[in-house]
Amino acid sequence: MSTTRKRVYGYLAEFQSASALYKAAQKVRDAGFKKWDCYSPYPIHGLDGAMGMKRSILPWFVFFGGMTGTATAFTLAYTTQVVIYPTVVQAKPANIFTVPAFFPVMFELTILFSGFTVLFGLLGLIQLPRLNHPLFASKQFHRATDDGFFIAIEARDPKFSPNQTKELLAEIGGDNIELVEEED
Amino acid sequence: MAHHHVTSADIAINGDHLDVSKVAKVKTIALAIAALGTVVSLYLLFFAPEKMRGCYSYSWLFAFYFFLTLSIGGCFWTLLHNVSNSGWGTSVRRTFENLGSTYPWMFLFGIPLLCPQVQQYLYEWMNTHRGAHGNVKEHLHHVDHLLYNKYWYMNIPFWYARVIFWGVGLSAVIIFLRKLSTAQDTDPQPTTKRLFQARFHSTYTLIIFALTITFTGFDFLMGLDYKWFSTMWGVYLFAGSALNSMAVIVLVAAWLKSQGHLKHVTTGEHFHIMGKLLFAFTVFWAYIAFSQFFLIWYAGITEETSYFLIRNTGNWNTAMIFLVFGHFVVPFVILLQAWLKKNPKTLSIMAVYTLAMHVLDHYLITIPERGISLGNINPKVFGGITPSIPGAFWGDILAFVTIGAAFVFFLLRAVGQHSLYPNRDPRILESANLSN
Repeated sequence: MSTTRKRVYGYLAEFQSASALYKAAQKVRDAGFKKWDCYSPYPIHGLDGAMGMKRSILPWFVFFGGMTGTATAFTLAYTTQVVIYPTVVQAKPANIFTVPAFFPVMFELTILFSGFTVLFGLLGLIQLPRLNHPLFASKQFHRATDDGFFIAIEARDPKFSPNQTKELLAEIGGDNIELVEEED
Repeated sequence: MAHHHVTSADIAINGDHLDVSKVAKVKTIALAIAALGTVVSLYLLFFAPEKMRGCYSYSWLFAFYFFLTLSIGGCFWTLLHNVSNSGWGTSVRRTFENLGSTYPWMFLFGIPLLCPQVQQYLYEWMNTHRGAHGNVKEHLHHVDHLLYNKYWYMNIPFWYARVIFWGVGLSAVIIFLRKLSTAQDTDPQPTTKRLFQARFHSTYTLIIFALTITFTGFDFLMGLDYKWFSTMWGVYLFAGSALNSMAVIVLVAAWLKSQGHLKHVTTGEHFHIMGKLLFAFTVFWAYIAFSQFFLIWYAGITEETSYFLIRNTGNWNTAMIFLVFGHFVVPFVILLQAWLKKNPKTLSIMAVYTLAMHVLDHYLITIPERGISLGNINPKVFGGITPSIPGAFWGDILAFVTIGAAFVFFLLRAVGQHSLYPNRDPRILESANLSN
């Protein structure tokens, strides 16, 4: 028997359908919660709006990532083809006006850098990969990958209260409401 | 997100009609300008002093082809919407069809280009053909081997046959498709029959569209310099055509919405999709324009480089460099924003801007050839080969305003003829509740 108390992660509630989840999400949003999430086996159209999620910052990362790619490619091509070792083909000039010849490289590196920023930026923002998640302690939660629709409200949300949050989840149609505690 | 879910109760049962009296004044003014401009243009094309006739031929070709691309694009979006089985655009499809329906009228403005009096200043290859005594091919064999080799395609009877087909073929396609669509508006039993018919007939007629945009470009524009050719030419013109017809569609839809029409059936979501298409074709245009330039610049073959030698030197070069930034870089960065595309007002501003760049694009396609060709044809009258002929741009403006006024007239006429959206289309509710 352990003497330390377990940390509470938050409340987990199950909903009957995607549309029930959607409607419940709107109510949780309107109740002013910030640290909470929806779990469903498949993407639900418009759920981000129902949850009141802000637009992701990721496009900005990608934009500047892409621009970095363009600049890298230009520097690379210009340095090698004009400054260090000018390659004269068919009497074409080797100077700044040769820039069309660099466009394919600039284009490719823009795509490559954008792609990398999308992937790694996304992984960073959603904090993946990770080894475990506190919700895995719940016995019913594995159904989120099969036929379960869940909402979890975290205990670290300033609005969280052991009784009222539970009542709210019951009120908006949540079943099998469970207080999830983190595993040791 | 919490917008009203559109049901059949929100759809106007007898259609959403434009109050024609509201646009009557604009239509009358447009028609008057077009009629007056046409009379002046016919004088300038056929009866004016030779210098004016020569210069104005190019002005007319520029304005004619510019507005033709917008009409052809309307046909393209109609065909594409049908053939791709799309649901999103049903509530704006009538606008596609209305724009496409201006095609037969716009093509009529090409009639002067069928007359040898005008052709003699535009198409030097025709002069060589017409100058032959007896067998044309035999004559070409002696005077110009390039024209001899191209004879199977570049001969006058075939040219006329093709041009008549471009005019008649696509006109028949768009008239048929629009009739099919508008007949449904009043049908008490609107089944899915017409939907499937439109889809089926749009498949093979899409080929007529593709041939029309490609080969009108060859016959009217590439033929200005018979030595020059580009395999990207048709795609390049198509890119500009699809992009700018979408800009016109955005403007018409935004205007109708601001007048209280298309209520319930179009939302910011529709404008978002149209904005995305505008963005996509901005990129596509740049991709094709660059590919054309790049391959020609890289290969450095004499016949091919002439196009860019004229346009990428002297003052034309400034305009060409401006085109790169104005037609691609600036709209690319601006159209990346999603909020801008969802707002009909901001998207309309971008549509107007895109159209302005299309004017520049087509000006640079047709007009730089003028000083070169005319100086070559008759140096005594036109003063030798020059990059540009001073004062000739007034004609460009006149031709543009004339055909542009006619375009506005026929577009408004088409918009006023039928319901502004296909109110009995089986997909209208799917389209109205669009979310993307």
